[in-house]
Amino acid sequence: MKHLPKHLQPRWRYLAVGLEAWPDAEIDRRAFQREVWYAGQNLLGDPGSAAADLSVVSFAFADGEGDALVRVRRGETEPARAAIACIDEIDGATVGVRIRGISGTIRAAEENYLGRRGQVTEERNVVFGNEERVAVVCDGSADVRLDEAFAGATDLDCDLA
Amino acid sequence: MYEAVHAYPDGESTVARLAKTAADYGFEGVVVRNGASARADFDADEIQEAYGVDVVSGVEVQTDDPQEAGGAVGNYRTDETVVVVAGGTNRMNRFAVENEKVDVLAHPMAGRGDVNHVMVKGAVEHGVRLEFDLASVLRVHGGRRVRAVQSLRKLWELVDYYDAPYVVSATPSSHLELRAPRELQAVGEQIGLSESAVAEGLAEWGRLAERNRRIHSESFIEPGVERGRYEEEP
Repeated sequence: MKHLPKHLQPRWRYLAVGLEAWPDAEIDRRAFQREVWYAGQNLLGDPGSAAADLSVVSFAFADGEGDALVRVRRGETEPARAAIACIDEIDGATVGVRIRGISGTIRAAEENYLGRRGQVTEERNVVFGNEERVAVVCDGSADVRLDEAFAGATDLDCDLA
Repeated sequence: MYEAVHAYPDGESTVARLAKTAADYGFEGVVVRNGASARADFDADEIQEAYGVDVVSGVEVQTDDPQEAGGAVGNYRTDETVVVVAGGTNRMNRFAVENEKVDVLAHPMAGRGDVNHVMVKGAVEHGVRLEFDLASVLRVHGGRRVRAVQSLRKLWELVDYYDAPYVVSATPSSHLELRAPRELQAVGEQIGLSESAVAEGLAEWGRLAERNRRIHSESFIEPGVERGRYEEEP
């Protein structure tokens, strides 16, 4: 089906959720999604959870710690926050849940609240070791392409050509 | 904003761990409300230094017998900053709201407990704070949760009408059960307490601790009489 024109597409907000549990807990994305939907339905009811959407966009969990991104319709973030706060157990494992922040894009949520790597800028020409090289510059660090391999550097090491 | 917690051995996490998580979540302090039989062992100053969170010592008197509770409240009043009485039966609720030595009546609506206008007026008169216990909203499911939300609404209507003092707590017993203030406010909004009411109720713990510390301090002699600065003899 043809996608909607831009002004009719829904506006999303992304909730960055921090998860914490005892070290022996095992939680997968499917279980988390199920709990999020249950929590939404129980607290907000069917219309409320339909309005909020609450689908899990990304999920990572290991050794009792994890994070997730939950997609919510713009304007429904507070009900969604309440629903997610009511998650106390996932697959029998007690979890601590915290909304770290809300962003308008997945990338912004990951960079600001999930500690992912910053935006990759385009490749740039730099001077490294008196020679002109191509480097991928990102958030102050630069991966300089040498003849055979890469060199890891920062913007202190190289001059922009 | 403060949170009132059950720490190890009453709960599963130690005071320090709860304080660490509370600091992360943006709380200014924690009130340790362990039962009389499971006192926590902690160094408030050390924790304050490490995590920047104020740790308030307190006790939760848990019994069904008002006479026994009266004795316990008298015993702990001088040592503990915050004295909480666990409600949940009509006798204990009546006892707590009519006793000036009690700071907080905890979960008055739990179990078979109920609150009416007489009790709320009593709480206003004796300065006893009624607790909104969000634990049953956060960690109970199904019909029991519906009844818990109903009773919180009823309590809120009474408290709001008589302008009674109140506190709000999620009553966590481990760091995993803690929830950040913003989350508690959002939950409050959904169940009929306003966001500002929840914020107010969380902050009330802090005000309570500050007031009681002042009263317990050596410069305080009795209401209206305090040790001040004196003129030096020439």
